[in-house]
Amino acid sequence: MPSEIDDLDIKATKVDAAFTPVQDQDLDQYGEALAQYTIVDTDVHVDDTLMRMVDYMEGHYQKRLQAALQADFRGEPGNSLRNMIAHVNWLGSSYDKPPRAKLATKTELLERMQLGIINYSILFPSELLPIAYLPDPKWAAALATAYNAFMVDEYGNLPGVKIALVVSPNLPDHAVEQIAKYGNHKDVVAVCVPDVGVNPPIGDRKYWPIFEAADHYHLPIALHGIEALVHDNYPLRVSHFPTLMQVHSMGFPFTGMLQVMSVVCEGVPVRFPKLKFCVVEAGLTWIPFIMYRLDTAYRQYRTELPALEQKPSDYIREWYWGTHELEALPKRGDLRKLIELYQGEDTTMWASDWPHLERDLIAGFMRYDMSEAMRRKILGENAVRFFNLEQRK
Amino acid sequence: MTDQPLADQATGRKLVIAAAADLPPGTRMEVRVGNNLIAVFNIAGTYYAIYGRCPHQFAPLSRGRLQGTVICNAQTNWETEWAHEGEVLVCPGHAMEFLVKTGQAIGYNLKLRTYPVYEEDGQVVLIA
Repeated sequence: MPSEIDDLDIKATKVDAAFTPVQDQDLDQYGEALAQYTIVDTDVHVDDTLMRMVDYMEGHYQKRLQAALQADFRGEPGNSLRNMIAHVNWLGSSYDKPPRAKLATKTELLERMQLGIINYSILFPSELLPIAYLPDPKWAAALATAYNAFMVDEYGNLPGVKIALVVSPNLPDHAVEQIAKYGNHKDVVAVCVPDVGVNPPIGDRKYWPIFEAADHYHLPIALHGIEALVHDNYPLRVSHFPTLMQVHSMGFPFTGMLQVMSVVCEGVPVRFPKLKFCVVEAGLTWIPFIMYRLDTAYRQYRTELPALEQKPSDYIREWYWGTHELEALPKRGDLRKLIELYQGEDTTMWASDWPHLERDLIAGFMRYDMSEAMRRKILGENAVRFFNLEQRK
Repeated sequence: MTDQPLADQATGRKLVIAAAADLPPGTRMEVRVGNNLIAVFNIAGTYYAIYGRCPHQFAPLSRGRLQGTVICNAQTNWETEWAHEGEVLVCPGHAMEFLVKTGQAIGYNLKLRTYPVYEEDGQVVLIA
């Protein structure tokens, strides 16, 4: 490219507007800087729309889903008002601005892995996340059955690709069956409990068979939220929110706080001391709030929680946390300070939420200042330990 | 996102980035000057150049769509109206919006650097 000066590296390139979100172009910016780390992306999503599920559904559920998919929407969001009914209150918000979110295909996932920068991707459900509040838990269980079979079939035995099973909490016996079926699979590394709308909250004894089964197979429990679908359960009565921004901002962290509080206050960590928990896709800033708020109340109300042997924050400190969606902290040192506040250097795990619209580019994490040791732990070492990735290579 | 240096490597030198014929109305270029990135647009025959990375997570703004957006202020009598058609650069990362002519981030107290860019002797010249 012509230039009037010689001592400056100048390159002008014609480009086009992106109609889908830019994804990992930033990964290669860091070159050598990232090459030295083991990187685990703790929250990755592939296409699990209902069209992908239908071949793996069983019995009458398959027949009924086939019939449903013959309707006009064909599993593609956006071309049917009925299919968008859950979003209709919020059509005017994020849905009018490009770029739109996409679900990744298997090819796209493998291309991303082949960049050689990310060592492990942990796959979580996307479309299946509302199953915890489907009115009929048997439908939820049928979808979870299909999802797990599909994922193990399509995404098992791929280098660096690991799977979180999904279970429907409202049918614990079925969840236990699913964990037993896949618990020894080398690529299954966690049990994902979709946590939004779970009623009663997830610490309730009703769900303990799920925890017992996960504990038996040395699988950690991962709680994953979802932003916006219609239900009326605490803490996210979405009918109260006129905009998707409000649902999104409150939904993930308040659900996270509710479920962490429930698990701890019901004594789950005492009953299952080796069972590991994490929360993904809820950000981080609320963690110190719930830890120390509970500690304060514990002094006064301890007799309501006679099973606890330590104060609440001592249990919560053992939880793991996915970084996504990184809050927009103003200063470069703020993330380190936040993590110090909840004592999470050994429990915070980098997560992108790729390829969803709100995914974090790795630059969003790398911009924060922290020690080399802390960065190394968060980018990979903590997740390797949480998901037992060395044992399940 | 307040402590990010936005364009600290600009040199103020005169750079020929393309033949004018290669940057017709409706097209754009990404210009890398050293480690600095600049997005250059030809909108209806007028050139605009803006700092090329979003301050949020550094996505390349040269790939952003140009469209309008909604505004609501005293001038609109606090009614929501569509405005700035074709002049709102939407970040291809997470959809943060910037007025391409001024660099102003919409809804933020933040302004990206803009650069002089013009046609001279059939060439597109960028001062950066």
